[in-house]
Amino acid sequence: MRKSFAELNYYEMLDIRPGAAAFEIRQAYGAALQIYQPGSLVSHSFFTETERREILSLIEKAYQTLIQDQTRKAYDDELMSRGEIDRPAQAGPDARKPVGIFSISRGRGQQPAGSNQESLKTRIRQSERIAELTGRHALSGEDLKQIRTELDVTLEQISQATKIRQDHLINIEENRLARLPAAIFLKGFVKSYLKYLCLEPVEELSARYMETVASLAQHETAQEQE
Amino acid sequence: MAHIWPIGGGKGGSGKSFITSSLGRLSAGLGRRTLVIDLDLGAANLHTLVGIPYPSKSFSDFLLKKVDRLDDTIVETPFENLFLISGAQDHFDIANLPYEQKIKTLRAIMKLDYDCILLDLGAGTSFNTIDFFLISQNGIFITTPEPTSIENVYRLIRSVYFRRIRYCFSVSQFKALEEEAIEQFGEGAFNKPECMMKVIERDHPEPYRDLQNDFNAFRFRLIINQMHKRDNAALGAHVCRIIEKHMGLQIDFTGNVSYDERVHDAICQQVSFLDRYPYTKTAGELRAVGRQIFQPAGRQLMLQYV
Ligand SMILES: Nc1ncnc2c1ncn2[C@@H]1O[C@H](COP(=O)(O)OP(=O)(O)OP(=O)(O)O)[C@@H](O)[C@H]1O
Ligand SMILES: [Mg+2]
Repeated sequence: MRKSFAELNYYEMLDIRPGAAAFEIRQAYGAALQIYQPGSLVSHSFFTETERREILSLIEKAYQTLIQDQTRKAYDDELMSRGEIDRPAQAGPDARKPVGIFSISRGRGQQPAGSNQESLKTRIRQSERIAELTGRHALSGEDLKQIRTELDVTLEQISQATKIRQDHLINIEENRLARLPAAIFLKGFVKSYLKYLCLEPVEELSARYMETVASLAQHETAQEQE
Repeated sequence: MAHIWPIGGGKGGSGKSFITSSLGRLSAGLGRRTLVIDLDLGAANLHTLVGIPYPSKSFSDFLLKKVDRLDDTIVETPFENLFLISGAQDHFDIANLPYEQKIKTLRAIMKLDYDCILLDLGAGTSFNTIDFFLISQNGIFITTPEPTSIENVYRLIRSVYFRRIRYCFSVSQFKALEEEAIEQFGEGAFNKPECMMKVIERDHPEPYRDLQNDFNAFRFRLIINQMHKRDNAALGAHVCRIIEKHMGLQIDFTGNVSYDERVHDAICQQVSFLDRYPYTKTAGELRAVGRQIFQPAGRQLMLQYV
């Protein structure tokens, strides 16, 4: 008989092979959240609240166990001793190394971000690069662009969803100060941009962006005067 | 024997009739003698979608014994190779079709001499609807990417699964199984066919094996209709994945069909969307879905219960 979800091993729960590399585990975790999180369309009405909670906590446990080398090794040993996976772990020795976020190759533009908020949030949580960019005090248009590309979101998608013209968005991302709209519009645009990407806290980030732009502009005028 | 594709999907308005008529056109276009049957009695409108606003005959002629054979209710459509059994002017509701009538109809449908038969089943999950859905192993589920529609399609899938199990047991046996499942898995088990299967596996190994074989032979499919740009294109694949993972039932995701306002325009002008707007995304997706469904299919097994 088929196993019920709770009887699956962590790899089966996340739909990955035992040798999966770290980035595959992260991706699978993100995908699982997208399916099982409350509010997900996929599993709408499929589970009771209790069932959903149980599944999510199992997925969390699976992820936490597999993403850390030590706990994963212990878990693999356990599975091997139960004969559930083969001894020579199907992975090459280096497949286990944590994979830099930049080496994740994702299909471009397949993600309609609107319905994918959870997956965006997950990615944001898991990306060191984004943490670094949003952790600094200054936040420039170029930083925003990097975050956006990191999240695999295209300008067209943002433009479509927020109804902000693409050339405005490009000017923002390229720090073309002279072509930016008036401050009051600019702030609104950047907020919509941040919201679309599920970047939080919107107020604080947009304020920091405005400050950064202001100081860049000052700098520019100073240079011109020299 | 004809290949039969029952088309269902819990919720009204998801596009069952539109998809049925489109697939009918596509199949006929491949040179196959194709028959579309409107079993959405009481709310029939397939005739309008295949260009026959006032069908001269209908399914009720057969039920009321005005004609002897189901064949005699078939009308030609303006499209080559495409035929229709209309449900128009039917005062019946399929849910209330008496048992003998239903069996008689099921048998008659299976005897029809066409290459391809598509059944438009209408909304709802009445036993009769499900029995027609289970007439072949090629059932197609249609849903839109909305929670309401998703909810209904899950309900329909569960009902189909339960109904198939039900065929294997007597009323009292089935009742006992239900009680056992609830006892073992809690109140929630009453709508969980997978729980009942566990009980059957333990207590009735032989029917269990038959059922498993049967479920393995099903080629159920899922189409997501009326996709909007912002919808998650992976929805269908994910839906199939949780059904497989949590219900143990395999359903193939056949494809997305985009929402296009011109579908409405075509229906209002009473022309075929595929003919009128052949170069739209939606038309391309319909053709892709058609290719998948009508690719040379293997042997088709009919269910033995009829
Ligand atoms: N891909 C689509 N794009 C745009 N509109 C669509 C699409 N598919 C269906 N529709 C619209 O949805 C309406 C309902 O479609 P249809 O009659 O086929 O649904 P149904 O599932 O058969 O409904 P019922 O259960 O009431 O019989 C149609 O009138 C059509 O305008
Ligand atoms: Mg209909």
